[in-house]
Amino acid sequence: MSEKRKDEIPLLEVDHLAVTFYTPHGTFHVVRDVSFTIQRGEVLALVGETGCGKSISAFAIVNYLLPFHPGESRVDGTILFEGKDLIAMPDSELHKLRGSRIAMVYQNPGTSLNPTMRVGLQMEEVLREHLGVESKQAHQRTVKLFDSVGLAEPDRIGQRYPHQLSGGMQQRVMIAMALACDPDLLIMDEPTTGLDVTTEATILDLMVDLKRRVNAGILFVSHNLGTVARVADRVAVMYAGQTIEQAPTSAIFKRSKHPYTTGLLQCVPQPPAEDRAGTKLRSIPGDTYAPEEGNLQACLFAPRCPMAQELCRTEAPEMLSVRDNQQSRCFFWNNVHKEIWGELEPRDEGLRESVEPVLSARNLRRFFGQWQRKYILFGPRVRLPVRAVTNIGFQVGTGRTLGIVGESGCGKTTVARLLVGLIPRQRGDILLRTEELAPLIEGRTDQQRAALRMVFQNPTTSLNPKLPARHAIVRSLQKLARLSGKDSRERAEELARAVRLEPAYLERRPEALSGGEQQRIVLAAAFAGEADLIIADEAVASLDVSVQAQVIKLLEDHQRESGTSYIFISHDLGVVRYISDDILVLYAGHIAESGPAECVLNIPSHPYTEALLSAVPVPDPDAMPTRIRLGGAVPTLRERFQGCFFAGRCPRKIGPICDNTPPPVNTGPDPPDHAIYCHIPPEELMKLQSD
Amino acid sequence: MIEIICSGLVATWRSIGNTLRLILRTWSGRIALPIVLLHLVLTLFGPWLAPYSPTAMPESIEQYQNLPPSLQFWLGTDQYGRDVLSRVMCGAGSLIATAGGGALLGIMLGAVVGMSSGYKGGRVDEVFMRVMDGLMSFPTLLLALLVLFTLGPSRFNIAATIGFVSMPAIARVVRSTTLSLKTMEFVQSARLRGESTFYIIFREILPNVLPVLGVEASVRFSYAILSVASLGFLGLGIQPPSPDWGLMISQSRRFLVIAPWVALAPMAAVASLVIGVNLLADGIRQATRMAKEEKHE
Repeated sequence: MSEKRKDEIPLLEVDHLAVTFYTPHGTFHVVRDVSFTIQRGEVLALVGETGCGKSISAFAIVNYLLPFHPGESRVDGTILFEGKDLIAMPDSELHKLRGSRIAMVYQNPGTSLNPTMRVGLQMEEVLREHLGVESKQAHQRTVKLFDSVGLAEPDRIGQRYPHQLSGGMQQRVMIAMALACDPDLLIMDEPTTGLDVTTEATILDLMVDLKRRVNAGILFVSHNLGTVARVADRVAVMYAGQTIEQAPTSAIFKRSKHPYTTGLLQCVPQPPAEDRAGTKLRSIPGDTYAPEEGNLQACLFAPRCPMAQELCRTEAPEMLSVRDNQQSRCFFWNNVHKEIWGELEPRDEGLRESVEPVLSARNLRRFFGQWQRKYILFGPRVRLPVRAVTNIGFQVGTGRTLGIVGESGCGKTTVARLLVGLIPRQRGDILLRTEELAPLIEGRTDQQRAALRMVFQNPTTSLNPKLPARHAIVRSLQKLARLSGKDSRERAEELARAVRLEPAYLERRPEALSGGEQQRIVLAAAFAGEADLIIADEAVASLDVSVQAQVIKLLEDHQRESGTSYIFISHDLGVVRYISDDILVLYAGHIAESGPAECVLNIPSHPYTEALLSAVPVPDPDAMPTRIRLGGAVPTLRERFQGCFFAGRCPRKIGPICDNTPPPVNTGPDPPDHAIYCHIPPEELMKLQSD
Repeated sequence: MIEIICSGLVATWRSIGNTLRLILRTWSGRIALPIVLLHLVLTLFGPWLAPYSPTAMPESIEQYQNLPPSLQFWLGTDQYGRDVLSRVMCGAGSLIATAGGGALLGIMLGAVVGMSSGYKGGRVDEVFMRVMDGLMSFPTLLLALLVLFTLGPSRFNIAATIGFVSMPAIARVVRSTTLSLKTMEFVQSARLRGESTFYIIFREILPNVLPVLGVEASVRFSYAILSVASLGFLGLGIQPPSPDWGLMISQSRRFLVIAPWVALAPMAAVASLVIGVNLLADGIRQATRMAKEEKHE
């Protein structure tokens, strides 16, 4: 960009954009004041938490607001595309721009593709429609485009239907379609959010590669600071419908000059330095300024800001220039630094040493589906069951946290459901201290039910939408702590305070609570029975980072006070790394690696753990991504593995032994409870991985 | 157990009030409410408001037989010289009560069968739903005729029959809603804290099925009205001389050419009631959709 002339008109210039929806239920200021520019060949990331208006801003650029809201909408401000105003442009002209010069990639590739058409045909249709290319040429172009987005066998992939492609492949097809007409502006709305972390890494690599090859401006909308650090040149941070800071990527991550950005960065669990202790997570208190609220003569972040002054509450700040190329919507940007949110406290280790396991599981097994014969009574057996969990065993120490990580389909949720007894195990034992637990929850005693509690991923569906929030807590107290009606109501208020909620919130219906508040109610219900072990299945996955940090802190505090053990299940290695004492890495229903967290996360590690670790996007633009990428897709699990479960995708495969012999258990060099299921001996792995 | 049912009823009442507020925001609801309210007033106060007795015949029948509408008899008189207006006004009560009772019974039976079947799943589900399929394969009116022939026509029997024949369709709708609710985490949480099946069905699932039941109830009610009227027409409904719309249409058939008003009045009454109830059903459907949208914002 530097070699370009300064007076060149930017590719896209958005100035004071505001989008308002007028609905029967009120007026929503979804976007209040958004300004940014994109130059040719540049990636601008628009980041922010749920409801900050980032996607709507992106869609407003192509005037594509109708599908979002049937009510009246109004767009103010200017959007200049190569100097032409898109808002004033007649629909017919805009229609020509969309698809040919401005292309979009949506969050969910599964629903963006027509499920009844082969993907090749869909692609050729785009080429014919926008470029008027002949059928034969269109086919050739399609193959070329599929090749350019890294799809294997580009000449044959067009024959497939969308459902025959994995999520990552579908997203590649979508990107290829967006690139079909050589667009000048590419808008990508959370393109990797629905994908597994290893697939996400490969898509991000593709984006970095595309950036060099394609001379288009890219607007990259995301909530994930890690992915942004990997691909963006510049970042615009949004809060409550406003852009509050805009700067080159490295400046945002190193020298942010807005209190919200600095706070947000500290909510993401940082990879610890040498020792695992690291520092405590930080959260931003309070809730976002909701779109229902009117525009204020004040800074919208002031109620949550640690350095808010009188001026912030009486006057609305404009974007102020900090230095060349960096602006901040803060009067006191000069005083912003990392410590405004207080000193980073070191984590205390507390009572983490323990020998006695609170729960141990042995040889757990659960297959789904049944064998059937091809013809009634006769014929060969077909349709093998899905081997979701095959022979998994582990222990959870008293007062310790076991993290279970793995990609979707690795069996982690099934393990959780087997433990609490929502589905019966087919083989194996689960011991709560010394008592054997019945396979189904209905067969367990009240004490056992109280001892083992579970928190689900989605807080909205975890609470009955038709009953007040109090219901879940009060009933848990009555059933598990055997409290009477009056006592349980009093105790429920105490619990609400323990999860930092006013007791008045208990009377609200779940729909009147935010996601974070709902999850805190769920936690209060889980704490109700004074459980020995709480299983949290992706408990923070659906929450925004600032709220996620609040919930994690609550879990930590509760553990310190009560000595409860946790099983923390997540696909997010960063969070697991932060909270866990021990880690279990699952792949395809098998244990790949297990042991104390610091052993699992350091070398030597199982090749799969290694790939997972290198795929995690780190919110630090200077972090050089380790180049280990997994090709292919997770196996279907219908066949029994002849050899190693990971052999099909392993980047460190050593030969036929991986395909025909199940891997042995190797213990790591120092502690005996660090187990790696791999044919390569740990010493060898250590050597390979330290290069 | 009583406590569970009581708290369930409170939740029900709250959601009814909320729905009513939303219904009035839709056009179907605004048109339907006056029609339905008029019929409701007739049901409750018809016998007191009617200018003449609906059953008593005048002494000289010939003089008053089949008179056209006039100031004295607004809708004319029938073959026995009785005032048609009074008969229509007094006929509303028994019809609406029977149809309403039948629909309510059907809703309750259907809800219980549907929720149990959906929640329990497996063999229970299989047996329940196959029985429902069996019931559904009979033409509704034929099944009702069969039952009434054996039991004999009475208001209670008619209501019970209508409840019985409308149960399968409701059970199916409720079952499908329950199936999706069953997978939700709040039901799983209830299982995990050791709640009984009875508690989960009536306290956790029922409040979430209510919106569906509201829509079903209004649709079933309009079907029930038509069924009661049809049964009356076929002579298996309320027995003469009590005024009954179906029976009135059936009896005035023979005089359709010379005295069409005798048949037209009860026909219009049935039609307007059914239209009113259907529009109301539409209003409720829109209202529940609006409630859902409100929740998403």
